[in-house]
Amino acid sequence: MKIIKSKGPEIFDIELEKDLLSKNRSLAKANRKKLDRLNITAIDVMGSIGSGKTSLIKALIKKLNRGEEVGVIAGDLTTTIDADRIQEEGARVIQVNTGKECHLDANLIRQAIDQMKLEGVKFLLIENVGNLICPGEFPLGAHKRVVVTSVTEGPYMILKHPYIFKQADVIVLNKIDLAKAMKVNPSQLERDAKQINPKASFIKTNALSGKGIDQVIRALGL
Amino acid sequence: MHEFSIASEIVNHVLEAAQKNQGKKVLSVQLEIGELTLLNVEQVTFWIQELFKGSIAENTKIKVRRIKARIACEACGYRGKGRSNQEDFSSHFALLNCPRCKSFQIKIEKGQECLLKRIQATR
Repeated sequence: MKIIKSKGPEIFDIELEKDLLSKNRSLAKANRKKLDRLNITAIDVMGSIGSGKTSLIKALIKKLNRGEEVGVIAGDLTTTIDADRIQEEGARVIQVNTGKECHLDANLIRQAIDQMKLEGVKFLLIENVGNLICPGEFPLGAHKRVVVTSVTEGPYMILKHPYIFKQADVIVLNKIDLAKAMKVNPSQLERDAKQINPKASFIKTNALSGKGIDQVIRALGL
Repeated sequence: MHEFSIASEIVNHVLEAAQKNQGKKVLSVQLEIGELTLLNVEQVTFWIQELFKGSIAENTKIKVRRIKARIACEACGYRGKGRSNQEDFSSHFALLNCPRCKSFQIKIEKGQECLLKRIQATR
């Protein structure tokens, strides 16, 4: 007698080969292409909370004295405080509220670029969410990346967050006028930066008085 | 760092792929995670298992293969494993340098991946 045996459930493989981190990288590349086509130089401004990212952006726009050529994307969890502050300098600003996310990503920047009126804009400054960890893993497509830290954060900020400083083209040490009061040695922070990232320029600034801003402009090629 | 959002993305991809292929139950999920990503493997697998609860992938086996870091030195041209100046941070790319010439001017060739390789399911 011929017996047909049940084979039981069929087991099969599905090959997926999906890189979950590569999506952001490919969107970032597309952003870069679009910016290049529009002849816009974009700068990703990253840095700690309260280090002076917005003040630096305001100082850069003021010093450039060409507010109408500057576009700014201001990233924060909530509020339009930064966008309002930057608008005072005459730049075009769009606020991106990430809600819960601790960093901007290439997809948010793609949407912001699509929505902004970019005629006449030569420089796009992107203020990332204040954070020295997460933005490091999410390139946006900017041409250069600047990381802002300040002496009021203490003497170990750079050594403790090597990942993000490694990716910077320019490292800004802000609030330099307060170094003595904070008992922080800026030269030590500079040595830490040079060890982690020998290629990046290290610039000491006081964004409120304008000290060092010229150097930042030169280093970023603005 | 972004373990939860990465885990939810993986879960969505797995369930979608299983459904498309008329899978009845997902038996295993195979991942490859680079040692230079800022992802904690334990947290990723924990969240995947949590998010699978109540789905056809509940209690599935999650296999993770770590991908070792490989660097290319821009100063001397060396290619291969990196060297770290701090043992605790051996998997931290910012602290990796060239074992031959000690330069920190290196490019990462491998170790930043988070791959959903394949899943196994029953029909």
